[in-house]
Amino acid sequence: MAPRDRNDADRTHPTAAARPARRDLLRMGGGALAATGLALTGCSGTGADGGGGEKGDPEKGRITVWSWQGPAAELKALVPDFNKTHPGIQVTVEDIGNPAIWEKITAGLAAGGQGLADVLHIGVDYLPGYVERFPGGLADLAPLGATAYRDSFAAGLWGTVSPDGKRVNALPWEANSAGFYYRADLFEEAGVDAEALQTWDETIEAGKVLKAKTGAHLLGLDKPASQPDAANFFQMLLQLQGTFYFDRDGRITLASPEAVKAMTLIKTMNDAGLVSDLSGGWNALMSSLEKGTNAVVPWPTWFGGIIEEQVPGEAGKWRVRLPPAVRRGGPTAATVNSTHLAVAGSSRHQAAAWSFVEHVLTRPASQVRIYRGKGIAPALMEAYDDSVFHEPSAFFGGQKKGEVFLAALKAPSPPVNYTADYSRALKLVTDAQTKVLLKGADPAAVLRDAAAELARQTGRKAAE
Amino acid sequence: MTLAKPLPAAARPRRRGRTAPYLFVLPALLLFAAFKLYPIGWSFLLSLHRTTGGTETFVGLDNYARLIDDPLLWTALRNTLVILAVQVPLMLALATGLAVALDSRLLKGRPLFRLGFFLPMVTGLVAYGIVFSVLLNKDYGLVNWLLGHVGADPVPWLTDGTWARISLGLALTWHYTGYNAVILLARLQTVPRELYDAAAVDGAGALTAFRHVTLPGLRPALLLTTVLSTIGTLQLFDEPTVLTGGGPDNATLTLGMYLYRNAFTYFDFGYASAVAYALTLLIGLLGLLQFRLLGGKQ
Repeated sequence: MAPRDRNDADRTHPTAAARPARRDLLRMGGGALAATGLALTGCSGTGADGGGGEKGDPEKGRITVWSWQGPAAELKALVPDFNKTHPGIQVTVEDIGNPAIWEKITAGLAAGGQGLADVLHIGVDYLPGYVERFPGGLADLAPLGATAYRDSFAAGLWGTVSPDGKRVNALPWEANSAGFYYRADLFEEAGVDAEALQTWDETIEAGKVLKAKTGAHLLGLDKPASQPDAANFFQMLLQLQGTFYFDRDGRITLASPEAVKAMTLIKTMNDAGLVSDLSGGWNALMSSLEKGTNAVVPWPTWFGGIIEEQVPGEAGKWRVRLPPAVRRGGPTAATVNSTHLAVAGSSRHQAAAWSFVEHVLTRPASQVRIYRGKGIAPALMEAYDDSVFHEPSAFFGGQKKGEVFLAALKAPSPPVNYTADYSRALKLVTDAQTKVLLKGADPAAVLRDAAAELARQTGRKAAE
Repeated sequence: MTLAKPLPAAARPRRRGRTAPYLFVLPALLLFAAFKLYPIGWSFLLSLHRTTGGTETFVGLDNYARLIDDPLLWTALRNTLVILAVQVPLMLALATGLAVALDSRLLKGRPLFRLGFFLPMVTGLVAYGIVFSVLLNKDYGLVNWLLGHVGADPVPWLTDGTWARISLGLALTWHYTGYNAVILLARLQTVPRELYDAAAVDGAGALTAFRHVTLPGLRPALLLTTVLSTIGTLQLFDEPTVLTGGGPDNATLTLGMYLYRNAFTYFDFGYASAVAYALTLLIGLLGLLQFRLLGGKQ
């Protein structure tokens, strides 16, 4: 048993101990009141001021911009340039982080715009959900002048930001095409010509040779779906067949023959031992690059810049091409995702916010600068006239990386209907993929179950 | 307050004395009303509505009816109950053992050990979740790297359903055992020494003394830690979110995560509120049950 003498110390001077305590209490009470006051005033404003008129002054005000990591850094770098022409607008760029930004925007929209930034960077996967669930949450950019840029962006993207052709919910920024980055040195060691691969079936056969001769996996997937983006590869295989989770009328196409084909390709690769596990998110992905675990990284345009940054020592070993087709002779180009800048409907500086959006997204010089900085591919077609997209890249063995993806952007790309239920569909798809990858489940069966569950959750009909 | 007759002068200070406590309580009450009471009431209203296309329609108990045949909800409930039935008793048993050890006079440098076991509790939930997920990564993690050195095969800590549950349990145990041990230790120190002396005189060994003196003495603290751990487990969110994202294939999906996902990923606030109320009901029932079973007389 422990000795109890410790307690005696507390008992020696009860009054001396009590007096400061009471004073502390009073001070705490005052502090709490002050905090309440602060909290209440903090709730009432959006943190910006100096607005005038309904949409505010296009040349004056303090605006806040929410984005994440690389894009946020590039936005920050553009501010001094923006202030040369718009000295009256003070821009604060906040790096919220991805995926944290989605839930932060959701919370802001659900609170009727309280605490929301003026300019929001939004991915194509979230845009329809925000628009449908929170009408008016994002400002209509058409009255601010967005309609003038209807034909400025890559094919299909205007339909994404303006589904009805009238209201403009956002303006496109990045347009990422499906890519196929590969380690040329490993392919050479295995005696396989990567450029000659026509279909994914051929690629799987090549993967077997690669694995036998070099020990490298063909590619990596987040098998237990530790991250929400674990189904990117599956999604790309769907888009290469011109389909998605929903058709254009919003009906569920999760159990379509195309989807089963895509999942079967994944299962075949995995059963042949060609797929490494990339669970653990970004860190695991970066470690796999450093370790050379995979010969192929089937990620879109923006990932080229990441590879260059992460493994600069491997300059010359990497190449890039568009992915092989799913069916022989089928498409090899797909715009797998795009991101956008939107203006909050609650913003008291919509005009000033629009000035910034316009400066960043519709001026080729801004987009070229962003591409040079972080390799973020613009949706703005005019930007591609710049020489930066036509320069040979030393890292990619003298290839003109920009032209590879420009070709994809110019190819016809059917619009993708994400719907407001994309996140529900995505969750069911990643679960289905996990069952296939970790438990060897039958692709057709798990997709059928997923489609049925999605129909139950959303009340949507299945296509066919 | 209206009074017909003016109060005698002598009563006035007394009356002011009576309102002062309420003034002191007021800030806390206001904060409670604004940040607890209001959301509690509002979420109940939300649970009776469904949002479609930005408009809220009253649907009565529809959201509650949806709960019944939602397979994911039952998966989440099952996962949560498994953690409750396996991890909580193990952790509390460990904490009891730890408390007895930390109380032992044989132990040198007791404050250091107590601090050491309590420190994990101070770690931020997300921070330790990330640390565990990095340590336990199958291909790039430290634990499997160390296991590799003794010739063991890599363990799929986070990529296999069963192992993911075990990993989650390990992380929870690491974080909360010391905390519970400190609560138990505080109670242990109030068990009168004489009881042990009396037990020794009666010929009781260490084990008998533990069973008949220590455990009954710990009873209130055990009840407290059990109830706290039960509530904590039912609301479990941070650890599985960071560690496994609820996966693989929903093996570590908890009710808290499912609620959050419905609200903030699927924007289905009505249904999420219904899940929240179901969860509250469950916590209330389990708490009541535990008080009945462990509370003893009184």
